[in-house]
Amino acid sequence: MNWDWDKLQKQQQGRPGGKPPGFDDFQDQLEKLKKFKLPGWKLVIPLLVLLWIASGFYIVEPDEVGVVKQFGKFNRITTAGPNYHIPYPVESALTPKVTQIRRVEFGFRSVGRPVTQSFQQGVSREVKEESLMLTGDENIVSVQFIVQYMIKDAENYLFNVNDPEQTLAHAGEAAMREVIGNGKIDDALTTGKQEIQVQTRELMQRILDNYHSGLSVVAVQMQNVHPPDEVIEAFKDVASAREDKSRYINEAEAYQRDILPKARGEAAQITNAAQAYKETKIRGAEGDAARFLAVLKEYDKAKDITRERLYLETMESILSNPDAEKLIMSDDALKQSVPYLPLDKQLRRAAPKEAN
Amino acid sequence: MKKTTIIISVLIILGAFVLTSAAFTVDQTQQAIVIQLGRPVTGQLGPGLHFKLPLIQNVVFFDARILDFDAKPEEITTTDKKYMNVDSYTKWRITDPLTFYTKVRTIQGARARLDDIVRSQLRVALGRYTLIEVVSHKRQEIMDAVTSRSKELLLPYGIEVIDVRIKRTDLPAENARSIYGRMKAERERQAKQYRSEGQEASAKIKANADKERAIILADARKQAEIIRGEGDAQATKVYAESLGQSPEFYDFTRSLDAYKSGFEKNTRFILTPKSPFLKHLQ
Repeated sequence: MNWDWDKLQKQQQGRPGGKPPGFDDFQDQLEKLKKFKLPGWKLVIPLLVLLWIASGFYIVEPDEVGVVKQFGKFNRITTAGPNYHIPYPVESALTPKVTQIRRVEFGFRSVGRPVTQSFQQGVSREVKEESLMLTGDENIVSVQFIVQYMIKDAENYLFNVNDPEQTLAHAGEAAMREVIGNGKIDDALTTGKQEIQVQTRELMQRILDNYHSGLSVVAVQMQNVHPPDEVIEAFKDVASAREDKSRYINEAEAYQRDILPKARGEAAQITNAAQAYKETKIRGAEGDAARFLAVLKEYDKAKDITRERLYLETMESILSNPDAEKLIMSDDALKQSVPYLPLDKQLRRAAPKEAN
Repeated sequence: MKKTTIIISVLIILGAFVLTSAAFTVDQTQQAIVIQLGRPVTGQLGPGLHFKLPLIQNVVFFDARILDFDAKPEEITTTDKKYMNVDSYTKWRITDPLTFYTKVRTIQGARARLDDIVRSQLRVALGRYTLIEVVSHKRQEIMDAVTSRSKELLLPYGIEVIDVRIKRTDLPAENARSIYGRMKAERERQAKQYRSEGQEASAKIKANADKERAIILADARKQAEIIRGEGDAQATKVYAESLGQSPEFYDFTRSLDAYKSGFEKNTRFILTPKSPFLKHLQ
């Protein structure tokens, strides 16, 4: 019965002017109803009425609110628990979930479970036409992010915007691009992420409030931000160049740490050798002096004999050397002989000596 | 008995029919106008229960919510003669259903109008700025200008433009390629710079270390010479002090030592019997 009313209304709205097309159907229905003479139809009518009255009961879950319309016009908000509204066609109730946090993905689509909160590369697919954006310094960057949002005002959410989800998607895309467009590529890639998230969230909220969409942006989270594939190698090379730089410096410092201690060691060696020389020299001198003085003391006691003894000992030791040639000649022979020095022989004998 | 039942049921049926064709509800998300023979007879009807004459009047419903109009991306030339694809969306609402019905009739008609107006406004506004201005700091300004102009132009159609927003500003493929080229070049330059800075720093550190080493060694050698000198001086002093006590004895003994070490090999001694060494041979 109710269902028929419904159908009738719909058909009437669909066709302006003319006789409502449901009219004939409706009459047939009524004819049928009149002919429908069950023995218990006096019992059926109150039962139907009871059912109709009971259809006004509805439950609002803890994560929902109830929104009641009277003849299509917003009438009241009801809270969690069992509630009652005057049955159709006077009132109807809607129960949107207001505490649930929903999630939209921008620039990528999760493959597999789309509601996972954690983002893992490899289970998502980049959507390039969404993710590539121009930055304020005329670069292009790929930004993948998610937006979490919830309904903050059920009335606005239900009645103000014809497609809140689409509206949120538009706002998210426009806001992120605007923020990225105001910044530099390096901000997006490195340290500026937090700031970008905050600004995007605020801008999105402003846009959505401007439409009275009844939505609240809980968070904007940048997931995967990277340079476009075409230039990613160059960016990676910058990173490795930075590492090369510190590697060069480290190597140089290692070299420095290696040679300076060695040099100090060598220096210590040099100075110690000099020290040793000095001490040796001084002790040698002192030793010589002591010996000389000791001998001198005795010499002073018996000058001539000591002199003689020393002279003879020296001559003996010189002449006892088998390598020394000895030649004894008388004075006369010496005077008469032509002093002949066989220099060639001397030189020939000297040569092998030089070779040693 | 039978007659009354028939009469009553006929009345009930009639009553129900009149009610259903005369009463109508407008949902919270809708607005409506009543039309009689193609001419509007009421103003804007808000949500709730309303009545009309059955058969000769009928109701036209309009969405009362904010509607979306997502324009097709469009290639636009900026002041600096660059091309860009601008994708925008418009949020709008039917504020005057009566005017709307007489001027554009349907949502489709409205879309065509929106498309015309927003598109041309965007074209005009974007043409005044350079690409980078559009992308970054003038974006809001442009959107505000386009929104307020479009609002003005669409008001006569019973349409309120709430917001025109630039969603995407992308570059045509060949421009994107040139940007990629520049990005690459910039990064390569950066990489080169890092590497050469590294080499510079490394060379400096190494040269400095070498210098330090040279200085350390030179210092050590200088120190060594000084120490050796001290040793020599000290030794000389000791010799002078001790030998000075009897120069002639020193002269004598030292000469003997010198003979000993000097006449070692290949020395020919020609001795005469007169030599004091041989005096006992006579």
